[in-house]
Amino acid sequence: MTGKIRTVTEVVKTVPDGAHIALGGFAIARNVIAVVHELIRQGKRDLTLSQGVAGLDTDLLVGAGAVGRLIIGGGSLDRFGPVHCINRARESGSLSFEDWSSLSICFRYLAGALGLSFIPIKSLVASEILDRLENGAGADQVKGITCPFTGENYVAMKALVPDICFVHVQVSDAEGNCRILGPRWDNEEQAKAANRLVVVAEEIVPTDEIRREPERTIIPAHRVEAVIHQPYGAYPASVFGCYDYDAQHLKLYVEHSRDARKITEYIDHYIRGTADHPAYLEKAAPLQHRSALRARPGLGY
Amino acid sequence: MEIRATEIMATAGARELENGETVVVGIGLPQVACFLAKSTHAPELTPLLEIGVANMRPKDTPVGLADSRIFYRATCWSGFLDVMGMNLHRGIVDTGFLGALEVDRFGNINTTLSKQGGRLRYFNGSAGGNDVASLAKRVIVIMRHEARKLPNVVSHLTSPGFPGGKPRADLDLRGGGPHRIITDKAVLGFDAGTRTAQLISLHPGISFDEVAANTGFPLHRPDSIAVTPLPKAEELRILREEIDPKSVYLGQAI
Repeated sequence: MTGKIRTVTEVVKTVPDGAHIALGGFAIARNVIAVVHELIRQGKRDLTLSQGVAGLDTDLLVGAGAVGRLIIGGGSLDRFGPVHCINRARESGSLSFEDWSSLSICFRYLAGALGLSFIPIKSLVASEILDRLENGAGADQVKGITCPFTGENYVAMKALVPDICFVHVQVSDAEGNCRILGPRWDNEEQAKAANRLVVVAEEIVPTDEIRREPERTIIPAHRVEAVIHQPYGAYPASVFGCYDYDAQHLKLYVEHSRDARKITEYIDHYIRGTADHPAYLEKAAPLQHRSALRARPGLGY
Repeated sequence: MEIRATEIMATAGARELENGETVVVGIGLPQVACFLAKSTHAPELTPLLEIGVANMRPKDTPVGLADSRIFYRATCWSGFLDVMGMNLHRGIVDTGFLGALEVDRFGNINTTLSKQGGRLRYFNGSAGGNDVASLAKRVIVIMRHEARKLPNVVSHLTSPGFPGGKPRADLDLRGGGPHRIITDKAVLGFDAGTRTAQLISLHPGISFDEVAANTGFPLHRPDSIAVTPLPKAEELRILREEIDPKSVYLGQAI
């Protein structure tokens, strides 16, 4: 049952500098932290990241200096704070930044997933988001368009086709038939828009179990290139039905991310200073600590 | 316990919502107001969350939209494409209920940046905010009443109210636009002719002059001014015991 199962180290080695990566996390939920840490350990540079709502994953990559361009709908760490590293990079102009909305990013992935070259939308209209895109980094991504049937005006947006998409899921089989429990934001659209798709799963189940309830499969195996099996792979973010976010570690992160020098200390200590995700977990959240975050049955958090 | 400003705001917000409505709610006081409406006069109201949630019934207070607590006991889990695409973009969402960093006299919303003290600082950006403000049939904003948060013109127009004071149809905007701004001092609405924010009611004990002094755009003084009704005992009980017992949102400094 090894199938498509790969280690995060192997998979990340196949991601070239400058690649466009779509990230499946939302703020502090189901972020592909194991992948993000490995991208940082392997010293990837000049990445383009796209995401509906950026969170801990994207903030870490920007803080580590791995990102050249951001295409996002918004960003936050919920009540733990703003995405300090991203905001600081914007303020200093150190990366190319395209600011959209959550639905416009989702529609652009949908166009990519459907093989359409563009998609019309009624969001962004008459906003400064649109002005900035038209006059900045997104100038070749948006254009006014008129419906040939009704004459109605829309904003046409270019399809978004990431080179590779990483999505963190609760359950997969070894072939990549996977289930996403709880709300899925734009995961399905981004996963199916990307040229390559890798899932990180908390749990690997036999394909027979998938066959018993195939209606629960959100992404089928033939779309998936590789499966990384990594329990607590989103820690310190939450995975619904598996574990809660670690409020204590997120507070520690935000204390460091406020300051350009302190974020480097954090990254050196927890990421570059650990060989892999299990070593990171031992350092940041030893067994007893992470067990206390296990979701309670019936609640899912 | 004395009635807190947040409780007046949540109650005023709840009273704007009608039974049977479909409402896309933001985290914090919008969500508290929506649950209060549902527990009182609007049991058939359907709250939606932009992440892909319908009709949730949380029992623990969440820290945000990414917190699993927020979507506990929902009736449907989907994604952006369902809630924001096939509901908001489809044009069937009655009310969008949002928080904001800044709102100007035309109800335009900024959640992207601040230019306080000559320093440019970035914040969370739109997320679903632009989509909600563009597409809902009407929009209610709940926020702190300060002159710098209610400027004449927003520092960045993230989400449209009536940009340039123009009718939304002339700008190709689909949704109906701003309906109310509910603050810790007053409730504002929008004049049908000028599309500018107008005073609707003052919260008990707040004077017109205090509101005008804390508003960054000129506010017309109406001949007679209504007073925002205080929460009733039962509304206070629901807010304090059922919706936010730990005062995560009701206890915040507004």
